[in-house]
Amino acid sequence: MNSVTVTSPPGNAPTRHRMTRNEWRNLRNGLLFISPWIIGFLAFLVYPIYYTVRISFTKYTGFGPATWIGLDNYHRMINDPIFWKALWNTVYYTALAVPIGVVVAMGLALCMNQRLPEVPLYRAILFIPSIIPGFALSLIFLILMDPTQGIFNRIITSVGLPGINWFGDPAWVKATFVFMAQFGAGQVALIFLASLKAIPASLHEAAMMDGASAMNRFWNITVPLMTPVILYDLILGLSLGLQIFTQAYIITQGGPIDSSRFYVLYLYDNAFKYGQMGYASALSVVLFVITFVLAALIFWSSNRWVNYDTM
Amino acid sequence: MTTTKSSQHRAEKRTRIAPATFNRRDLVKGAVGAGAMTFALGAQAPMIVRGQSKTNVTFWTTYTDTGLKNLTDIVNAFNKQSTDTNVKIVQIPPAEVTDSSKLITAVRGGTGPDVYLLDRFIVNERAANGLLEDLTDLMKKNGMNPDLTEDYIEFAAREATFDGKPYALPFDTDVRALYYNKAMIKEAGIDPATWDPSKGVLLWDDIKATAAKLNKKDTNGNFTQAGLVPWFDQGLPYTFGFSWGGTFFDKSKCEVTPDNDKIVASGDWIYNYAKDQGVDAFQAFIQAAMKPGAPPQQNPFIQKRMAMWITGDWSIQNLATYAPDIDYGITYLPVPTKGMNSTTWAGGWSVVIPQGAKEPEGAFKFMKYFAGPEGQKMYTKASSHVPTLKSVQADKSLYSGKHVFFIEKLLPTTKNRPPLPVGAKFWDELQTAWQKIYLNKESAKQAYGEAKQNTQTLIQQFCPIT
Repeated sequence: MNSVTVTSPPGNAPTRHRMTRNEWRNLRNGLLFISPWIIGFLAFLVYPIYYTVRISFTKYTGFGPATWIGLDNYHRMINDPIFWKALWNTVYYTALAVPIGVVVAMGLALCMNQRLPEVPLYRAILFIPSIIPGFALSLIFLILMDPTQGIFNRIITSVGLPGINWFGDPAWVKATFVFMAQFGAGQVALIFLASLKAIPASLHEAAMMDGASAMNRFWNITVPLMTPVILYDLILGLSLGLQIFTQAYIITQGGPIDSSRFYVLYLYDNAFKYGQMGYASALSVVLFVITFVLAALIFWSSNRWVNYDTM
Repeated sequence: MTTTKSSQHRAEKRTRIAPATFNRRDLVKGAVGAGAMTFALGAQAPMIVRGQSKTNVTFWTTYTDTGLKNLTDIVNAFNKQSTDTNVKIVQIPPAEVTDSSKLITAVRGGTGPDVYLLDRFIVNERAANGLLEDLTDLMKKNGMNPDLTEDYIEFAAREATFDGKPYALPFDTDVRALYYNKAMIKEAGIDPATWDPSKGVLLWDDIKATAAKLNKKDTNGNFTQAGLVPWFDQGLPYTFGFSWGGTFFDKSKCEVTPDNDKIVASGDWIYNYAKDQGVDAFQAFIQAAMKPGAPPQQNPFIQKRMAMWITGDWSIQNLATYAPDIDYGITYLPVPTKGMNSTTWAGGWSVVIPQGAKEPEGAFKFMKYFAGPEGQKMYTKASSHVPTLKSVQADKSLYSGKHVFFIEKLLPTTKNRPPLPVGAKFWDELQTAWQKIYLNKESAKQAYGEAKQNTQTLIQQFCPIT
């Protein structure tokens, strides 16, 4: 094996590259061009994060001076039963909504990928629910899932099953939100569809010649080659799942009995109902850490199951 | 002569010609002069307009429907008579009464209103948070006594005062009672005449027995008609806790007391009511009408599907609007045991000036009118609520029909929620405990114990509460 080693000429110490006037000008112009983003990044991301971390160590109502209380807010969290309840509700929701969302999005993508003349129409129909804003979807589901008049219960009771109080029963409310979340799967399905289209047809053809069934090809060709986008969806879904807010705020306000009091809803209550901005900031710092750790775990595990070979 | 003629001719010619010799310099001079005159006049004109213009005051409310219309009428009446202030009423999205997020974020962003209509029981909490302006100076400047108890009924004045200072002007108050549909209770074999308040106070257990006779279910087990859902609308922890003779706050110990025996006993009654008559079916029956901002048409009493309803004086107006054909009666809130006095409670709203208001002077002028005799009289007549000004409350000409019962029989013995700097938190904790009880998930003792524990953690920082 040949190797080439580049060395400095004898007697010449390595010198720092001096930028020419042209390079300086280019650098300056480049920075000026991206300065709106830099300013936005600093003002709307870096500073708020710094500010949140700082006031998480204070007792602060949002008005007047903040009082430094060290780690008291974090200590209070440990002894706060509603914090644990909200955390459990959120983890429960995320743990179900995200993986189910991957399966639903995959199913939609496979449907959208059929070679049919009217497939553009089907794609539009499957995608439409995902462009409905969260608050509008919530109001629609309030009507659809009304325990006495809603269409879901009418269908269930028509086949002899007992009606369900979807949003009013603590045992059902989280599962109902998981179900609702699947109506946003169209967005991810589009990404999955693009990924499906990128899989070389030759791989499937070769497998078919070898006698592989459709199911075999799905599990051994399609799924492995889509793992990079599945990873992307898991990370995105994790972040969005842990921040669930709108649906619960509009439909249940955290009830019944805190069974849909999700983490961000509790954070919101502390900040805007109880004047506990310092505590709410501590809650958001902890949420950031939880999200970061879970995302890191998914990334770490991705070495074992994500396949970048052909994509 | 020739000279004279000639000079006279020249003079005449000059005189005649002079206007025609309007050279560029003259034009510029004229333009400058005209411009100066226009500027001078123009400068005067806005001054005249400014002198006549009014201070613009923004007033936010979460009221909807008829409530909003009633407030708008007061605002219009104020604008009509005010020479220097113009109020613009803005409706913001309704939410839970304890949710002030829109106000808080707007104030922080420097875009808050000048006046805000705030549920009075959370004035203390918002004042403690630093969100509200202290009204002491404005009241003195406008010839009012900062001690609100002089003009306003005592509990309303106390709710609007924090740390000895006024932070709100009380607007209205309201009183809870039991409404019943006469035709429906006849179905249960009750002569409506026997429920007339003049016949005395009913017992909760008798109400429960009557209600059970009126419950009807379809083949799927859903209620198509119910006698009474005691936790619907104003059937709240305070309603039942006071009815059983309980108290919610011990000032001497600076301790919330939802776990006292009487309040727990009221919770036990609710627990058993739900257990005996159907937990899940009741929930399904009232769910649509329980949402914040739900239209009155979804109310099962208005739909003639519920025979009894715990609500307040304002429902007289709602029933007149949405169900004028219902023949209904109003009586005292029942009592748990014979011989006890019926107890009800009152709440109400108030007007406040948030921090950073741009026009506090104009805002206060409006508040003085709105929460003064003019505004309160208009609102009492339009909404069948109860005024908080002692002088207006004493004016019997404002009440008629069923409204008189609230003023004469209920108001003298009414109680109120303790004004606490953690009022919103305590309210939410009681609501959660209430749900645990009526959904039969926890005993009243356990649920109220948790509510106490969760609230007490926050209240400690404000102790002692004066």
